[in-house]
Amino acid sequence: MKDQLKIAVYSGDIPSTTFIERLIHGLSNTGNSIYLFGFIKKKTKYQDSVSVFGYKNTRQHKALHYIKYSFLLFCFKHKEKRKLDAILKKQSKNLLLTKVKCYPVLWHKPDVFHVQWAKGLADWIWVQEFEMKLVLSLRGAHINYSPIADKTLAAMYRENFPKADGFHAVSKAIGLEAVKYGAVKEKIQVVYSGLPFVEEKKTVAKQKDVFQIISVGRAHWKKGYTYALDACNILKAQGIKFHYTIVGGTNDIEFAYQIHDLHLENEVSLLDNLPYDSVQTLMQHADLLLLPSVEEGIANVVLEAMQKTTLVLTTDCGGMDEVISDGVNGFIVPIRDSEAIATKIAEIVTIPQAAKEEIREKALHTIKTQHSEDQMVHQMLALYQSIYHDKA
Amino acid sequence: MTKHKTERPTIGIVLSTVPRYSETFFRNKIKGLQDNGFRVILFVDYLEPEDSNFACKVVASNVFNKNTFKRIWCSFLALLKSFFMHPKRSSILYTLNKRDGISFKENMKQVILNQFFLKEDVDWLHFGFGMLAVKRENVAAAMCAKMAVSFRGYDLYLSPLKHPGCYNMLFTKDIQYHVLSQEMKQELFRYKISSNKIQVITPAIDIPFFTANTAVENKNRLELVTVARLHWKKGLVYTLEALALLKQSGIAFHYTIIGAGSEKERLVFAAYQLGILEDVTFTGKLVQSEVKKQLEQAAIYLQYSIQEGFCNAVIEAQALGLLCVVSNAEGLAENVLDGKTGWVVPKRNPVLLANKIETIVKLSEAEKQKISKNAITRVHKEFGLIKQQEAFVHFYSEN
Repeated sequence: MKDQLKIAVYSGDIPSTTFIERLIHGLSNTGNSIYLFGFIKKKTKYQDSVSVFGYKNTRQHKALHYIKYSFLLFCFKHKEKRKLDAILKKQSKNLLLTKVKCYPVLWHKPDVFHVQWAKGLADWIWVQEFEMKLVLSLRGAHINYSPIADKTLAAMYRENFPKADGFHAVSKAIGLEAVKYGAVKEKIQVVYSGLPFVEEKKTVAKQKDVFQIISVGRAHWKKGYTYALDACNILKAQGIKFHYTIVGGTNDIEFAYQIHDLHLENEVSLLDNLPYDSVQTLMQHADLLLLPSVEEGIANVVLEAMQKTTLVLTTDCGGMDEVISDGVNGFIVPIRDSEAIATKIAEIVTIPQAAKEEIREKALHTIKTQHSEDQMVHQMLALYQSIYHDKA
Repeated sequence: MTKHKTERPTIGIVLSTVPRYSETFFRNKIKGLQDNGFRVILFVDYLEPEDSNFACKVVASNVFNKNTFKRIWCSFLALLKSFFMHPKRSSILYTLNKRDGISFKENMKQVILNQFFLKEDVDWLHFGFGMLAVKRENVAAAMCAKMAVSFRGYDLYLSPLKHPGCYNMLFTKDIQYHVLSQEMKQELFRYKISSNKIQVITPAIDIPFFTANTAVENKNRLELVTVARLHWKKGLVYTLEALALLKQSGIAFHYTIIGAGSEKERLVFAAYQLGILEDVTFTGKLVQSEVKKQLEQAAIYLQYSIQEGFCNAVIEAQALGLLCVVSNAEGLAENVLDGKTGWVVPKRNPVLLANKIETIVKLSEAEKQKISKNAITRVHKEFGLIKQQEAFVHFYSEN
């Protein structure tokens, strides 16, 4: 029985997205060794327990990386290198770059190799041939819509999902979606995203003449901002005083035209991507965080808003109903329904302050009990341990 | 037009690339001008190998690629040409730009990049899209030519949102504008362009080609079709939402979307979430003969766009006798006359679109035939290639 594991968290990029970095940070405090492989986008400071075996995106750096690991494997793990070369030759389109990615993994051989994005799964099935356990995260678009539009991707999932040793699902809903592609139900562990503990501050009084609504996220169709803007049009027609801000919505001509077309220039602002702290401040000062998405795993921005005690209105997409209970700790409406968004906002505006405060408190309670970073880290470790000890 | 710099009146048309075979608008325009005794020179940014046999003289911009050394070398050559081959025109361009308050660096850049225009003699320099005339506002004047600019939907309605103020300089110049619809003319009024500077010339289609060969057979299910690239401005998500409502009403249909584009994933997922994926076919891009075949199989043509200059595909569908339902986006309400040659539905409202389709389905055959015939007659009268060619000859001769 081995208590301390070598765990590779692989997203392809170093550093990765906020929530993957949060997982890495959490795992690094557990006494396990964390390995990061892939392309180094920028130098990042990690705890001592985190080892980075990445390469920079220059020819020289990739060449040195390749030579170093080729040499080590040739001298000390010759047989395994030959075996891997044969596997890669069968599956690879760009053999050299694939070796740059794969050789360090074979050399360092983590106990568990955790792939964060499903589209890359086929590239890493080989690790199982070398006694590494393969875990796949089931996240957002990669599971929910990409395989619906891309038949080749769906076929790849059907071929490889049954082979994975374990799955980390960000919500129950996405776990069920993965089962459609052959993921074994018993191997799926739901681990919700967790937020670090923040000392409670007294909330800013949120009572203004103009109801402030905010959305945060990249300008992508899956975020459903067009529905939010149509809802704004309805609200304006009803004479409700509001202002809607989309952080991350600038430079999108579709939104800009919709605002122009619906004459919402005074009611809607598109802001550029902002630093994390500025977003948190904006969110804290808003009356409502709106998530009009048509697809999500569980949107982290909703969790952050709940932690900031900002009211949340979300669509019923992905696993959002596992977090929000309508009228209890937030509000929920069907997807692709501008009318429903507008109606719900109009309702929220009229809710008395005391009732709003109660909802905010319940939202905070949900975060503390269901989405703490500690909980996330412990559940992930439990997943790794159970998979590893299956092998043992 | 009485006095010309050249033996025959010469029109310089500015485009990004040589029009491909399917781009009938520019090909027809060029052919029409040539048939009417005009000489045409095409100015393009890029030249493909297959462009060498194009029907008129083609002048391409210098290749300023990413290689720094090559870029410097090309700039140097262009500068030499400006000084020694057409110094007067280069000087005028520089002076006019300076008068417009353009900085020295930007001015020199424009002189270098636009040098390839200056060696040609033309009576008119006609920019095929508004954005192509940006940073070239004084080129026609430097060539002692008249300037014309055509606007399509995207560059009039969307480019100014993407690049705020992009036409501020352009709209101060003495230009004849060509737009596709009266609505677009109204839009130019908002920029304080006077009426006598704007001519509406609608798109046109090859009517003999778009004449129905076969009568539409009655099918059990309703066949709907749209020809559009998969772009948000085509309003296809709203269309799918309307069709989901239609399905809920118990109307059996099949919807074919002809066209390719970056939004396929968005549309397939929308159809999936709306529960109509099995009722929708995405054919991808098809050749014109295949498009015609597909249209002939359908009963109703939908063009529920969010933004649209005029839309050739709707004219083609009308010519083939399809019942057309369009949105009221910009020029579409002029393309289809509501209740006479088809139906116009306010945009961004799937409920209204679904209701309209349901109403049409319930019409008697005689009522449907009446609308279809009206549409065919109007297309023959208003949207033929000859009429368009004559309009352009008039555009250059009378201004």
